Amino acid sequence: MEKLVAKYVWEWPVRIVHWVNFLSILTLSVTGIYIGWAKTLAHDPSQYVMGWMRFVHFVAGYAFTISVISRICWAFVGNEYANWRTFVPWAFKDGRKNMKETFLFYVFARPRPPHAVGHNAMAGAAYLWVFLLYLVMICTGFALYAQYAPGSLLSRAFGWVYIFGSSQGLRLTHHCVMWLLLAFAIHHVYSAWLMDVKEKDGCMSSIFGGWKSVHEEE
Amino acid sequence: MDKKDNEQAAVAEERQMRKTVWEEKGISRRDFMKFCTAMSAALALPVTFAPKIARALDEVQRPTLVWLEFQDCAGNTEALLRSSSPSVAEIILDVLSLDYHETIMAAAGHQAEDALMKTVREQKGKYIAVVEGSIPLKDDGIYCCVGGKSARDLAREVCGNAFATIAVGTCAAYGGIPAAAPNPTGAVGVKDAVPGATVINLPGCPLNPDNLTATVIHFLTFGKLPATDSQGRPLFAYGKRIHDNCERRPHFDAGQYVEQWGDMAHRRGHCLYKMGCKGPETWHNCPIQRYNDKTSWPVGAGHGCVGCSEANFWDTMTPFYKRLPNVPGFGIEYTADQIGAGLAIATAAAFAGHGVISALRRNKDTEGKKEE
Amino acid sequence: MAKIVIDPVTRIEGHLRIEAEVSGSSVADAWSSSTMFRGIERILQGRDPRDAWYFTQRLCGVCTTVHSIASIRSVENALGIRIPPNAELIRNLIMGIQNVQDHVIHFYHLHALDWVDITSALKADPARTAELAASLSDWPLNSPTYFKGVQAKLSAFVSRGRLGPFANAYWGHPAYKLPPEANLMATAHYLEALEWQKDVIRIHAILGSKNPHPQTFLVGGMAIAVDPDSQTALNANKLEEIRLLLGKAREFVEKVYIPDLLAVASFYKEWAGIGGGVGNYLCYGEFPADNSGKPEVLWIPRGIILNRDLSRLHPVEQDKITEYVDHSWYEGKPGTALHPWDGETDYKYTGPKPPYEYLNTDEKYSWVKAPRYADLPMEVGPLARCLVAYASGHKEVKPVVDLVLSKLQVGPEALFSTLGRTAARGIETLVIAQKLPQWLDALVANIKGGDLSIHNNEKWDPDTWPAEAKGFGWHEAPRGSLGHWIRIKDQKIANYQAVVPSTWLASPRDAKGQRGPYEAALQGTPLADPKRPLEILRTVHSFDPCLACAVHLLDPTGNETVKVV
Ligand code: HEM
Ligand code: HEM
Ligand code: SF4
Repeated sequence: MEKLVAKYVWEWPVRIVHWVNFLSILTLSVTGIYIGWAKTLAHDPSQYVMGWMRFVHFVAGYAFTISVISRICWAFVGNEYANWRTFVPWAFKDGRKNMKETFLFYVFARPRPPHAVGHNAMAGAAYLWVFLLYLVMICTGFALYAQYAPGSLLSRAFGWVYIFGSSQGLRLTHHCVMWLLLAFAIHHVYSAWLMDVKEKDGCMSSIFGGWKSVHEEE
Repeated sequence: MDKKDNEQAAVAEERQMRKTVWEEKGISRRDFMKFCTAMSAALALPVTFAPKIARALDEVQRPTLVWLEFQDCAGNTEALLRSSSPSVAEIILDVLSLDYHETIMAAAGHQAEDALMKTVREQKGKYIAVVEGSIPLKDDGIYCCVGGKSARDLAREVCGNAFATIAVGTCAAYGGIPAAAPNPTGAVGVKDAVPGATVINLPGCPLNPDNLTATVIHFLTFGKLPATDSQGRPLFAYGKRIHDNCERRPHFDAGQYVEQWGDMAHRRGHCLYKMGCKGPETWHNCPIQRYNDKTSWPVGAGHGCVGCSEANFWDTMTPFYKRLPNVPGFGIEYTADQIGAGLAIATAAAFAGHGVISALRRNKDTEGKKEE
Repeated sequence: MAKIVIDPVTRIEGHLRIEAEVSGSSVADAWSSSTMFRGIERILQGRDPRDAWYFTQRLCGVCTTVHSIASIRSVENALGIRIPPNAELIRNLIMGIQNVQDHVIHFYHLHALDWVDITSALKADPARTAELAASLSDWPLNSPTYFKGVQAKLSAFVSRGRLGPFANAYWGHPAYKLPPEANLMATAHYLEALEWQKDVIRIHAILGSKNPHPQTFLVGGMAIAVDPDSQTALNANKLEEIRLLLGKAREFVEKVYIPDLLAVASFYKEWAGIGGGVGNYLCYGEFPADNSGKPEVLWIPRGIILNRDLSRLHPVEQDKITEYVDHSWYEGKPGTALHPWDGETDYKYTGPKPPYEYLNTDEKYSWVKAPRYADLPMEVGPLARCLVAYASGHKEVKPVVDLVLSKLQVGPEALFSTLGRTAARGIETLVIAQKLPQWLDALVANIKGGDLSIHNNEKWDPDTWPAEAKGFGWHEAPRGSLGHWIRIKDQKIANYQAVVPSTWLASPRDAKGQRGPYEAALQGTPLADPKRPLEILRTVHSFDPCLACAVHLLDPTGNETVKVV
């Protein structure tokens, strides 16, 4: 027999990080899109449209960065569902099995996803890539940002990023990775919804309250 | 020190040095001091340094300078001839002993080569080499030969034995246009062609001659080469971005952009960001130092910056009229955004499709569950 | 026969090498070779055609505007773009002052030292120099004190024993003929011109942001905004500054350059019989009076003169221009010349391995190709322009040519020579310097009439272009006829080829063994001292060589790779 029990999966820091990320990415994308496709919205030079856009972008950038760093720390102190191991499922036997089964489910070759309480293995692996993209955004973002203050602490801290490319190359990367993140977001919200309806596991609401309904096998 | 003190100090200094080599050469003291003041400005030094520069220039035995041209267009030589500070073209010919320069020297052929080799032999480790143009390394350097010698061998001999080498222009500094993809001749800058040489890079296409004079004066005044950034460029000239000193910056911040050449915004001097201006990623003192007697500079005249003082700008800053480069592997018609938006839409479509299929399968699954 | 080599030929742009065979006391045969190669045309493939001008501008830093003009014209021609009248006039102003400034630099800084012995100027009497100068013109700086100052400066320089750029020259050579006073005057003006040129070229900075390499060219017009009520655009203040500088340019040409030229020339009249060369002259025509793109509106006319026959002017047909590579370091079918649009050459060096003593002049020996018009080598440049204008009875050029000829007491046949080339450059400078203010007036009149347009935006967006297009852009550069040929495919450059003045002039032999203009002109040059071949320099410099432009390459097979790092 199987029954549904409520389980506390997402601890508060995980949830806060998730929503701070969500909000800051939204803000960063909107302001970033303006930076990328500047439109003449101002009618006289006393206005400060681009100035504000950039200001908000940078503040959101800081919020985002702090949030991402906190999550990385939490991966070492939080509960098993937040642990860094869930992001590298292929390194463990269980994870490999789970990954294969989830994949089969996604391509309709299996009626139900395998059992997982935290992230399913596929999602865990995907989040690793998302976190890497976060880091790419942070590094390219701060490397570009630091250009306004050559010789400063910031520019020295992020100067190494330029071994990967010229400022134009970094800008282009920063610009394109935004699209990757947006593409991920679409996929991600869909998957969460799918899990919710398929598994009736409260996946969607879990990220708000932290509790998931879990099938317990007896 | 306030301004008055500065002036007094300058006057006192001036009186101290009665008749100098300058006057012997027919350059008036006034012209000379004007030049020194201009130089201290270019070097971003307080005016008090003007007398110091003057003293340094007076004391030195004209240091020897040889100017080599390789894969170049002579643009930097021409720039030198346009130097704007008072009598600079003249003073350069006098401050320094310019022993070799193909474009302006009187001698030719063997006699010219002899002049060069004499300097290398007799002044070993003391002369300054200026290099203009890139150096082709492919196929044993056959793509550029002077006097039957390859540019690479000449550069190794001349720059290798110099006190220091000043690479003028982006070609000499980083390979420049000959090194643009696909770099048919394997062109590189001096630093890569002559490993181990002391090289100061003064990129620009062509360089601003004021920066060259300032580098030499910096050396004569302080007895050492100027501090440089990670790309070997002196901080006094390449320490800040164009965008951070640009006179159109208020319009950038306000959000007022030129949308079409010749439109109202263009006429009123609004920001050229959308016309592909590369000021935000270019390190140079153009907005301040300007060109031709401080007359103008590209953004000032209405055309975006193309980033000519950056390594590889021919590849990284093109297309010049687009803000971002093309995505490698895609043609010109695909900009980053078309690709990105395409990706996002494709993802949405894929998942919409996936959603439909799974909705259709839902009933079947539930039925299966019931059977259990 | 003894073979002499001059490498590097100095006081030119780029890397030129001359090998000459000497018999007795004159040159029997000569080979001209360029020893530098960059591959800019190859680099252009796959790029945005609107960017091309910025690349081609770097073909040469001396004639710094010309390759941008030819390039934007080729794209405009391919896409059928007509530029606004203001842009046309601004371009005329930029091209015109470029010609004037470039010719003066050439005369004083690149060519004069072939005729003027600076060391002899020390022996001159300043008072008599002033008399000489005053007899030639009413230039304000003709006083004895002035010349004394110059002489003192010179002697201070020489007495310190370090001659810098003036060391090791052919000073004291028997072929120098000027009296000390004329030498002193020319030396003074050498220094004067150095100051003057950087001043007048500020017109480029006002209209083009900087010089060398102005940066306001655009396919479809210019990027310098025009608006009398704006601080950042071309306004009354800037127009007035241009007017002052044009006045300064004209004054110097009228009062210093032309008198000096005539004075020096009168001592070297035998050079009117030396250095003639191929005898065919080509001119594309320049300075359009309106934006119709028709050859009739060109102020300097288009035409060809064959075999020194000034009585017949032939039309120029674009498709008769071809290039040979039989003696150039490129692969290609021997004996076939290709039109620039169809060029399919591949660079391949087959010369000696450096360091070398001599080139193998029987085989391939230069990076320069051999362009031919209807299979004939052509001389281009100020002389060609002057002759074509003269033959067409041009109302501004003809009287000046006649005046110069009568002052020197020679006939028109004297023009086909080293001296003729040097004189034609002066004549042209004068005519253009006098014409420039008229273009400025026209620009002012347009602005006054409310026309502020500087760019035609219709075809700016590549999406408006046809899938394929080809065009050519012609321009009379200071050094002669310049043409760029472009093929555009899918909004990218598929093929680019420039046939530049120095390619015509420095061309090596073609398949039939016909010599290029330098080579032909050098035949028969007298040599007083083969170890110090000053006379060869005179003839070569009279063409105003500019070698960086002459060497480039195209390779339509190359894959496009645009790297973003
Ligand atoms: C997911 C997070 C982010 C997104 C989606 C994002 C998006 C964007 C976009 C689309 C642009 C315009 C790029 C262009 O077209 O040139 C941009 C520019 C920029 N971003 Fe971000 N960004 C993010 C994070 C950050 C972070 C963490 C920083 C660090 C402070 C940052 C700093 C910058 C800077 C400095 C610029 C250039 C602004 C300028 O030059 O005016 N970004 N961003
Ligand atoms: C309506 C919006 C969203 C909802 C409902 C939502 C829901 C969720 C849920 C349910 C999880 C846990 C998934 C699991 O079981 O494995 C999760 C995790 C995650 N979500 Fe979202 N999400 C939303 C928006 C976003 C956005 C816009 C992003 C970033 C672009 C994002 C990035 C992530 C990441 C990286 C994780 C892993 C979290 C961790 O382990 O720390 N989410 N989200
Ligand atoms: S014109 Fe260029 S450099 Fe100036 S503010 Fe605009 S983007 Fe920056």
